[in-house]
Amino acid sequence: MKTMLQRNIRDRFMEGLLVLSTIIVLLPLIIIIAHVIIHGIGALNWDFFTQELGSPSRALQGRPTGLVHTILGTLVVDFMALTIALPVGLGAGIMLSEYPDHKLNPVLRVMNDTLNGMPAILKGLLAFVLIVKPMGTFSGFSGGVALSFVMLPIIARTTESALMSIPWSIREAGLAIGLPRWRVVLSTVMPAARFGLVTGTLIAFARAAGEAAPLLFTSFGNNYLPNHWLGMILGPVDTLPQRLYSLAISPYSHWHNMGWAAAIVLLVFVMLTFATARFFTRQKF
Amino acid sequence: MYTNRIITTAIFMAFLSISCGNGDNGNGGSLPGSGGGSSAENRIDLLGAGATFPAPLITAMADEYRDLTNNRVTLNYQSIGSGGGIRQFMEQTVMFGMSEAFLSDEVMNNIQQSTGGRAFNMPITLADVVPTYNIPGIGEGVVFDGELLVEIYMGDVTRWNDPKIARLNPDLDLPGLPITVVHRSDGSGTTNVWTSFLSRVSERWRNRVGYATSVNWPVGIGGNGNEGVAGAVQNTPGAIGYNSFTYALLNDMSYGSVVNASGNVIEPSFEATSEAANIDLPEDTRVLFTNTPAEYGYPIAGFAWMLIYENLDANNAISNRREAEELIRFLIWSITDAQEMSESLGFARLPETALERNFAMIRQLKWNGELLGASLLEDHPLAASL
Repeated sequence: MKTMLQRNIRDRFMEGLLVLSTIIVLLPLIIIIAHVIIHGIGALNWDFFTQELGSPSRALQGRPTGLVHTILGTLVVDFMALTIALPVGLGAGIMLSEYPDHKLNPVLRVMNDTLNGMPAILKGLLAFVLIVKPMGTFSGFSGGVALSFVMLPIIARTTESALMSIPWSIREAGLAIGLPRWRVVLSTVMPAARFGLVTGTLIAFARAAGEAAPLLFTSFGNNYLPNHWLGMILGPVDTLPQRLYSLAISPYSHWHNMGWAAAIVLLVFVMLTFATARFFTRQKF
Repeated sequence: MYTNRIITTAIFMAFLSISCGNGDNGNGGSLPGSGGGSSAENRIDLLGAGATFPAPLITAMADEYRDLTNNRVTLNYQSIGSGGGIRQFMEQTVMFGMSEAFLSDEVMNNIQQSTGGRAFNMPITLADVVPTYNIPGIGEGVVFDGELLVEIYMGDVTRWNDPKIARLNPDLDLPGLPITVVHRSDGSGTTNVWTSFLSRVSERWRNRVGYATSVNWPVGIGGNGNEGVAGAVQNTPGAIGYNSFTYALLNDMSYGSVVNASGNVIEPSFEATSEAANIDLPEDTRVLFTNTPAEYGYPIAGFAWMLIYENLDANNAISNRREAEELIRFLIWSITDAQEMSESLGFARLPETALERNFAMIRQLKWNGELLGASLLEDHPLAASL
């Protein structure tokens, strides 16, 4: 028979192991964040948020240069993608969860998983064929469509599991008072699952916000703000993940620093998204 | 859920309005440009993409042209490589492509068939490639000739004190250091120019290696990009590599002089590069002039071409006559006035022969059959004199 002391020691030991593995999980993230901040913080100044990039000679000659067009472009493309992906993704999720016997569902489930596992560059290619070629130009819109392909399967999946977590008794209560099925989903199940829905959507959003590959041949990139405000949607537009890459492979050290700064902005953007998700899941309605 | 959706929509709308507001602020209050008012409807976005090498020049031109037109015309140039430039040009997703290799006959024929007009290759600037090296105690100015570079890159000449090197450099005391050959590992227009020179001077190289944007190197180590080659050369005593001239200048690398076809030792310079192209050019300028017959021309140089459709209306990326007109205006400016910017950015100027050929091609540019290029060139002072 083991003594109480032995049990305690063993318990402490296991706890220590868990803490250690948590630290190991967090360490890469902390190192990445620290590294990005150390390298990029120096390039974060007023110009960075107010000027356009222009040519490399701007940076070499110390003239003002920045990424205002990139930051705005990222917001426009990402929110456009969300606007496209949200209704469709929610619909697919509702279908999977609320109409489990529908004969389309097995196909839908397989297709959704395939889309989720597909390399992001292929989604960009699809948007290139569907939108860029017929339009005859690269555009923020095609970038939004490409990113919506990234968001779609995630939203569908998280919607399904959020709705599935709501007990059937809630639906039965609605049906018992004579509500039609769509009304039950819309007015009782979805409000009950709202935290899960919002979280899932924001996770999909943050995931897509970091993707560069689908944007290479859709939103394409731009060194300036478009000359016309619709240009953000109908013309080529810059985005943070893609600009970060092209700054990083450039031969100019000033551009490398701007690349690190762009990484900080992207990190903060993604972290803010997750913070928003946390905020929504905590709030009591 | 509804709250979330409303907030999302609100944020989206807010950013949209900020972005358009900002665009207006950036351009608001600007005076009318040379071609008329600069109200929102008059503003034009031009789009080009392709070769990485001329990107610093083209984007600097874009900056300058934007100021010049009071923000009326914005040129967006993305460097995606020569191959990408040709590809997107053929896909008609860009108004012009940019390439360090001219379009092949096959591509030219395809375009002729699909658009009913030619594709023009218009020289915009020149690419020059210099041998760079790291020999302790020896600075700039080691002299090479084509045959020697071939033997080094074939692995036949392996030490810096080889008599073949000493013969060309009688005044230098070269060490018995082994030679480390460095080349590009990625596909590159620089490699195309370099290997085309080696192919021109040596039948052996032409048959065994040939020229392309990437080749099967007999010997040597690879470096990714100009910076990769530069890094390998600078960190390896005894190394030899090749870099674009502007890159060697910007990074204080030692580079050599090269003996040209006329037997003159040519030190790399912008003038010598321009001179290399001052030869009898074919009308479509699709020519490689490495090992140039020009007496004082630098032998390892080539054009960077702007690719453009003869029938501008056939290009899906150009949606109206105004865009075509502004594109031609920019093109004319870039090969004339804008060439002034070349040297300070590390590029050689276009020689007069190339300018002449470009003008002839611009005169044939059409929009729905209308000779748009010719009418825009009519009152250009330089075009009249050539």
